[in-house]
Amino acid sequence: MSKSAKSSLANRLLPSRGESVSIHPALISLVGLLLAVVLIPFVYLVIRAFEKPLPEIASLLLRGKTIEVLGTTSALLVIVVLVNIVLGTAIAAGIHFVQLPLAHLLIVPAVLPLAIPSYVFTYTWLALIPSLSGIFAAAFILILTTLPYMLLAILVSLRRIDSGFIEVARTLGLTRTQIFFRVVLPQIRGSISAGALLSGLYVLSDFGAVSLLNVETLTVSIQNMFKSSYDRGAASVIALLLILASVVFIAVDERIKDKKAKENVFKRLSTDDSRIKSLPLKVFVLISIGIYVTLALFIPIYVLLSRFIGNPNPIDVAGLLSAATSTVTVSAFGALIALLFSAPLGFLIATHAGRFSKISERIILVGHALPGVVIGLALVSLGSKLGPIYQSVFLLAFAYALLFLAKAVASMTYSLQLVPQVLKEVAATLGKSKTKVTTSVVFPIALPSIGLGTLLVFLTAMKELPATLMLRPTGMDTLATQIWSYAAINRFNDAAPYALLLVLIAAIPTFLLSLPWGEWDVKTSGSKQRTQQEKIGASRDLT
Amino acid sequence: MTSLDVSHLSVNFGDRTVIDDLSFSLKEGEIASLLGPSGCGKTTLLRAIAGLLQPREGTIRLGSQLVGLSSVVLPPHKRRTGYVPQQGALFPHLNVAQNIAFGLSKKEFSSSEISGTITEMLSLIGMSGYENQMPTELSGGQQTRVALARALAVKPKMVLLDEPFSALDAELRNELRSEVVALLRAQGTTAILVTHDREEALVSSDKVVLMRAGKIAQYGSPEEVYESPISPSVAVSTGDALVLSAHQSKDGSTSYALSSLDASTDSVSTNNGYVVIRPEEISVSKSSTAGVSGTLIQLDYYGHDAMLVVKLSDSSELIRARVAGPMDFHVGDVVKVEHRGPIRFFADN
Repeated sequence: MSKSAKSSLANRLLPSRGESVSIHPALISLVGLLLAVVLIPFVYLVIRAFEKPLPEIASLLLRGKTIEVLGTTSALLVIVVLVNIVLGTAIAAGIHFVQLPLAHLLIVPAVLPLAIPSYVFTYTWLALIPSLSGIFAAAFILILTTLPYMLLAILVSLRRIDSGFIEVARTLGLTRTQIFFRVVLPQIRGSISAGALLSGLYVLSDFGAVSLLNVETLTVSIQNMFKSSYDRGAASVIALLLILASVVFIAVDERIKDKKAKENVFKRLSTDDSRIKSLPLKVFVLISIGIYVTLALFIPIYVLLSRFIGNPNPIDVAGLLSAATSTVTVSAFGALIALLFSAPLGFLIATHAGRFSKISERIILVGHALPGVVIGLALVSLGSKLGPIYQSVFLLAFAYALLFLAKAVASMTYSLQLVPQVLKEVAATLGKSKTKVTTSVVFPIALPSIGLGTLLVFLTAMKELPATLMLRPTGMDTLATQIWSYAAINRFNDAAPYALLLVLIAAIPTFLLSLPWGEWDVKTSGSKQRTQQEKIGASRDLT
Repeated sequence: MTSLDVSHLSVNFGDRTVIDDLSFSLKEGEIASLLGPSGCGKTTLLRAIAGLLQPREGTIRLGSQLVGLSSVVLPPHKRRTGYVPQQGALFPHLNVAQNIAFGLSKKEFSSSEISGTITEMLSLIGMSGYENQMPTELSGGQQTRVALARALAVKPKMVLLDEPFSALDAELRNELRSEVVALLRAQGTTAILVTHDREEALVSSDKVVLMRAGKIAQYGSPEEVYESPISPSVAVSTGDALVLSAHQSKDGSTSYALSSLDASTDSVSTNNGYVVIRPEEISVSKSSTAGVSGTLIQLDYYGHDAMLVVKLSDSSELIRARVAGPMDFHVGDVVKVEHRGPIRFFADN
């Protein structure tokens, strides 16, 4: 064998710098299979849409109604995202740079609204102000719903900024304002973009809030077409339009977000004495947080409690319990499937840097652009061909897994990447095979982080509405569907116990996620603790 | 008995050759230092021996076992080399005892044997009672010691240390280094220490492997590489060295700035080149009449010794000399300098 042939063979098959170049065939097939499964709804929609003749598709897309709906959706998206960017940056910077009482706890009430789904927000505000409707009302509700994503993403990157940069900038004579725009803002640009992506995708996929407030966005159109005319071809065309909107949005974020910045080795985190002590600023920040927490937490909870207590009718305890059980069971089942799916996908992306990884990552990202309504539509249409699986708990759980797979994979990848290469190498020299290294070193270290990621999927699945409405088995009610059916006919009192219970159950994981949980910071092998918030922020690419 | 034999080893990263046709061997119980500037391939060589990367060509033998060949490779977990990376890399999810026992398979050892080894290793590194501490609760030096114990616990064929002391401060570093070396010697373990600290290489090892750009520049005992460098650049990499231009005449006598012979070029000189002198081989005196005169122009005081820079009166050469402890020199002093040591002449190619 010639020398070059030999070395190229070695390059292909054998590790270089400790990184394995080859991917196990079993992993390739498994990942390929999973990706095919992920793509099924998408492929199905394309087939369904293109069963229609092209002129009909064109006229469907170009008719006034579609343009109007697209305009409404875009306007809503722009308003929510812009307001979120301004408010999120201001509040996060306030929490980070201004010296505040109990600073480390302030984030908790600001994040807790994540436990409240948009349709519960809408319903509580509708119960308070029955005339609420229209695009601005929807924007208001969706800002309340999505602001915590923005806050978390920005706060995390603010915490990563080396205070050394700021100190140097100050010694160079910059004012605090100049420092913010010239030193801080460029470093958090990526997180702002990530937060914008999260809230934007939420707006694109939201169904509950807009529908209750009589704002016709793409999701509402799809649901209406699906329900009224049963014209699934037309619904599929609009669904593809919605996917396209999401993909464009993701692509914009990919453009804006910064390349992974190298962290400064001699990083120093902000100390307390570097924080701003100006009283007007303190008051301003506290009032801003206070207003948000009042609007997004206290008022909804107050409305729910007063409706709950003021309800003259007896509470259907059995119904409540069975709905709660269904919610928890199906969501847990969905989170479990997502976990199982994400293990090989995350493992591949975390450990191999090849083209196959890149492609897989892209496909999962496209999956992220499929809103609940769209997944629901695709699976319903497909489900009738699936026989017994159709209208089963399994199909709903599977829908959840597909919907939140991107979240799960992001968390899995991030968790596995926490494990430094050198630990795997040491384990190998101590006599552990590759498989053993994975089971005795990689997964144990990544486990707490994987667990919390799964919790996040579970939480999101519990709040899911549109796919649940379309896919739940006949006779099965979840908390979300019960809240929806009562709220849709203005029976707020009857919806209250379900909403309260959902918020309570969802608050537990949200609370856990908002705490500064410690995680092994194996990268620095020091004692610095990595917080859960940091993790949510770090998995920003896909969350 | 030969413990490690590396023969004609080459390693590539893509098209770049990082280790280039390199050979050396170690006897059982020997400690070798891999010394060289960063990027010269020290760590790569260590990783190739551990099996963490695949050489392009050449062979690696541990004892009598062939472990690495360009076409056949024994994976790292079957080589039994104890690897101690920078900062120890302890498993963060395991306590000290579990870290030490990590390489001891439950199939091969009974639990009493394993706990026996843990106790033995802990007392060896002077950390008895630390069994249940987590890595984050340990100081840097303790982490390094546990990492060493973890490597030794599996009774490795050899221990590979990749700059294990680099993150420690100077005082602790010296202390821990001599502790670790004593421990390796007591165990009779063959070991390779990667370092870019020339004193660390000289003081810790039986053999110094001096590396440059993927090749061995010189290989030998610390005394050999320090006293008899094979080139001026090798001399500089093992310690301070003075490189003076010199001429060698046909009869073998060498003339240079400090030689008794006339330093100026004469007709019999055939060979131009350099002489390498260690600063401690130069004596400086204010009272002596012997030697070449010059003026003291710089004095760097280190406490235990001082480095003097003397400008010679008859030549443009600057002479650096190390003088011990209490001394009575001042910048501006007129002094005599004298070379009292071997003349190491290197011809200009």
